[in-house]
Amino acid sequence: MEASYSPYNDFFLSQLKAGNESAFEHLFKIDYKRIVGFCQQFIEDKDQSQSLAQEAFVKLWLNRAQLETVNGIHSFLYTAAKTDCLNYLKHQKIINRHRDRQLQAKEAELNREILESFDFDQLELMELEKLINQAIEELPEKCRLVFRLSRIEGKKNNEIAKELEISVKSVEANMTRALKTLKLKLAAYLPAILVQIILEGL
Amino acid sequence: MKIQQIENYLCGEATESEITALFQWIDASPENKKEFIQYKKLWALTSRAGEEEEVWDRLFAPRFRKQKLVHNYWRFAKYAAMLLFAIGAGFAFQYTGWGLKHEKLIYAQNCSIAAPLGQMTNIVLPDGSKVMLNSGSSITYNSNFSQGERLVTLTGEAFFDVAKDQDHPFRIETSLLNFEVFGTSFNIEAYPDDPTINTTLVEGSLAISDKTQKELHRLKPGENAHYDAYQTKLVVTNVSTGIYTSWKDGLITFRNEKLKEIAKKIERWYNVKIIINNPKIGEQAYFGTILKNKPIDQILEVLKLSSSLKYKIEYRPDKPTIIYWR
Repeated sequence: MEASYSPYNDFFLSQLKAGNESAFEHLFKIDYKRIVGFCQQFIEDKDQSQSLAQEAFVKLWLNRAQLETVNGIHSFLYTAAKTDCLNYLKHQKIINRHRDRQLQAKEAELNREILESFDFDQLELMELEKLINQAIEELPEKCRLVFRLSRIEGKKNNEIAKELEISVKSVEANMTRALKTLKLKLAAYLPAILVQIILEGL
Repeated sequence: MKIQQIENYLCGEATESEITALFQWIDASPENKKEFIQYKKLWALTSRAGEEEEVWDRLFAPRFRKQKLVHNYWRFAKYAAMLLFAIGAGFAFQYTGWGLKHEKLIYAQNCSIAAPLGQMTNIVLPDGSKVMLNSGSSITYNSNFSQGERLVTLTGEAFFDVAKDQDHPFRIETSLLNFEVFGTSFNIEAYPDDPTINTTLVEGSLAISDKTQKELHRLKPGENAHYDAYQTKLVVTNVSTGIYTSWKDGLITFRNEKLKEIAKKIERWYNVKIIINNPKIGEQAYFGTILKNKPIDQILEVLKLSSSLKYKIEYRPDKPTIIYWR
């Protein structure tokens, strides 16, 4: 699996480009959660995140002929999601009345800044995903399990605690440890890419 | 700032005052901000939305169809006009008594039949072919079916008993492969969450081709073809077909199948969610036959007795039951 990190291959790509709807359905089912998850980090409204993510998939379908490589699929989806999130944030009014307006404005501003600094150039995104995956694989077992359930399966801390039969405190501790290790690992592994993707453009 | 606080914030579990404190910290120095942004980016790229069941069918497929219709509006309008003309002409012929008397039905434009999770569905197609859909599968055919274009699209697993008609080949399209037959019975397993396709031929002959219509293999009775999308490789072996088709009789035979694969099947049959807490259990190979029509607790008991598996059932109102395997 090392050579082809993407869940898709060239045959799949040719099918998608040819307009095979089941290929698109397959893709949607694999990647939908990932794109919704991404949008949710920047847009509080869950329905809105879903709708933006769906928009990204519609765009992918309409522009499928332009896809050149399998890795272009994720680049395209993330880029579309990023653009749509930015557009949404631009026009969004402050919604959550129970919270401090100034704080919310600050948060929105930072979110915009972070979104803008994402560069989903095909190669870099692929490299980064590969790195993240590798780094996750290398985490200690419990840590990895907690991280996967939380970040990849989107489970809540108390659900994870129940599932693994450990305390919520322990889930939290493992998550913290995972994040910290990941950050360190990623920084050490490939500084060039991190400099480009994560650190640059701030 | 402790990373625990950043994490709480990213999880959406921070309180108002904690968020204020966090932003003060972020504003305090460019390094702080940089560090926070690193975490947030990592968080965003590894984030997956929670379990959303059937989003494709419920939300996206209708919308997707609409989008496509708009896109193909003129082509659609052209066909609609032709169809209207044809129907009009048909009425005229019938009315004046010129037309041939035929009893051909006009079927719904796109007929789609699905077997929900936890259930199986029997279908008789307009040509008399029988299809048995396994849980969580669906089949689609279009209006041309009754005019002799025997083409269906399959998602999931189905057993086909195709009516003989040498003039009109019966074609099946799945996400990865196409199949063409004249009159036979066979089983196809092509679940969308699986990058593999399994086909077993019971009788007759079955042509398997890739999506470019290049014939890959012609299956003989008793042969099983296993296709792996990642390796784009088709492996043909001789099998006892019963293992692959017995599900339609409610009998499931596992031969050297990993428990995690069995878990996937049980999830589809019973509409439950299985969580394997001990990865070693998932890798364990299992031999045995179980009766699918039995209640799930009996199936679990059988598995428990014949492997080192332990389980716990958690019923949830309005949501699929969770079963933990240890």
